[in-house]
Amino acid sequence: MEKRKAILVDIKRCVGCQACEQACQQSHGFPVQHPTNLNDVALTFVEQKGEKFVRRMCLHCEEPACASACLVGALQKSALGPVTYDTSKCMGCRYCMIACPQGVPKYEWSKLVPYVQKCNMCAERVQAGGKPQCVEACPVEASTFGDREELLKEAWNRIRSDSSYIPRIYGTEEFGGTDVLYISDVAFDDLGFVKPANGAQPLPNLSAAALSETPTVVLVGGSMLAALYWITQRRKDVATAEVHDKKERS
Amino acid sequence: MSALKIPKLTFWRTITAIIFLAGIYACYLRFVQGWQASTNLTDTQPWGFWVGFSTLCGVGLSAGGFGLAAAVYLLGMERYRPILKASILLSFLGYTTVCMGMIYELGLPWRIWHPMIYWNPRSVLFDVALCVMTYTTVLTLEFSPSLVEKIPWKGVREFYLHWHHRALVALVLAGVLLSSMHQSFLGGLFLIAKGKVYPLWYSPYLTTMFYLSAIPAGIAMLIIALYLCVRSLNVKLEFGLLRDLSQVMGLLLAVYTVFRFLDLSRNHATQYFFVHRKETLYFWLEILLLIVVPLTLLSIKKVRNTPNLLYWTCASVVMGFMANRLNVSITAVDAMTGANYVPKWPELALTGAVITAAVVAFRLAVIYLDILPKYEQKKVRWVVSGDATAQA
Repeated sequence: MEKRKAILVDIKRCVGCQACEQACQQSHGFPVQHPTNLNDVALTFVEQKGEKFVRRMCLHCEEPACASACLVGALQKSALGPVTYDTSKCMGCRYCMIACPQGVPKYEWSKLVPYVQKCNMCAERVQAGGKPQCVEACPVEASTFGDREELLKEAWNRIRSDSSYIPRIYGTEEFGGTDVLYISDVAFDDLGFVKPANGAQPLPNLSAAALSETPTVVLVGGSMLAALYWITQRRKDVATAEVHDKKERS
Repeated sequence: MSALKIPKLTFWRTITAIIFLAGIYACYLRFVQGWQASTNLTDTQPWGFWVGFSTLCGVGLSAGGFGLAAAVYLLGMERYRPILKASILLSFLGYTTVCMGMIYELGLPWRIWHPMIYWNPRSVLFDVALCVMTYTTVLTLEFSPSLVEKIPWKGVREFYLHWHHRALVALVLAGVLLSSMHQSFLGGLFLIAKGKVYPLWYSPYLTTMFYLSAIPAGIAMLIIALYLCVRSLNVKLEFGLLRDLSQVMGLLLAVYTVFRFLDLSRNHATQYFFVHRKETLYFWLEILLLIVVPLTLLSIKKVRNTPNLLYWTCASVVMGFMANRLNVSITAVDAMTGANYVPKWPELALTGAVITAAVVAFRLAVIYLDILPKYEQKKVRWVVSGDATAQA
């Protein structure tokens, strides 16, 4: 199996030039603009938080809530890392949008045949051994792409060699781990990072816990209902037999 | 000369016509003008009224059918047999409404069959979809004799009814299991969205909560339907049946109440009871309508024995139930994502039209099929104990 890839975003290095945004928009044929939020024609954008610039995008979770929620499996976690979206399977239920803790999947509300739009880490390019467009466009290496293991080492190196960094990598354990990692010299809480509601546990575990009880409930419930039916029938049979007996005796 | 008689213009017919016209225009907005013209849905509130009401309430309020089928066929409560067909019909039309709703709820409705071939068993929604599809089929089969017995060819009729009778218990059993599963899974949908659901409504036991509230709400809906049948159609029913049903409903509501508050305290949600927020108001509105009002009213003997008052008690249960489902799907999500969603009128109009269509279908079915026992000639409203009749 090929090694898991990842993107490392260094908030300290980012100068807010928005080159990543534009590269992304151009490669998708979207109008070039600077949005204030992710939307169906902006799959990444640079948000200014005080003096800092934070690049928002899909985090490509190790165990993505969106892929677990998608009832037809249109969203998939690929072995290399990207969470991809298959337009030919999607039926437009929008459960992925409910499930994603970051609100990453966006809908083409303005279209009559709407699809979901989300960053797929340029899966085709990554598959061919390339880098995502946004990473390639970054002039200051605030975004770097590579093997996840290597990037984690690199991130720790930067944190160790420069005491201004917060000694934490966002994405090592958040939502059960993500393939987009962030390091920063300002606390993540102040930069509007989502605090994972389920801690280091992947969100799909929550629905898995409920679903895992189904076979037992169905089996036990089914047998109990069948038993109840049997008792009901038996009672009826006994009652008719008794009436029959009485008639014969008299 | 004219054999075709123009129907008389009554108050309710006018209302129905207006609802249908509004629905047709909303349909045009949704399918020709698009989402933004017809809905206030956004990326932060992608489900809104259609999923919250058409689907969550639609399925929940149709829970009466499996309850009554289980009571009569599996538990041998023969006295409920006269209203069994009506409860199956109500559920059948309820699920039909939900399926119709999918046509405008889904972004790509022509792919509604996709879950049949593309499977993702890890998805709660997939399990819901599969259960609802199968159960709608089961309901169609359970309901089918009412139509088949009107077939003029005796051979066909008897052949069908013979096999139907043999398969019935299996159908009922499957129906009970399927219903129990997807009624709970509808709550399970929101489990994965932890952190996006306000604490007054999020619970790891959302599945149980949805199941426990659906059955009394389904019964309440059934009582309402039966009451209206007796009031407006030539239907002959013993009031004692509805009174007993309401007792069962009260008992189930009490059970739900206990579990709901145990769950709230287990999730440490009690600290949000009196927070100065609009969610608090919606929460207490839900509790008031779904729990406090009906349980208080049902404890009064006069209410239990008066059809009209019982009807309003059930109306309170149904409204409280709707409040609960809308709270989980809209209020709770809005509170966390800041969506501030208010449905646009075409959202209400489309749902309203589909529900009205179901009501009209129910009425026609009761009139033209053998769903409920009817008076031969003049109606005398309620039958009270045996042969004595009384005006309600």
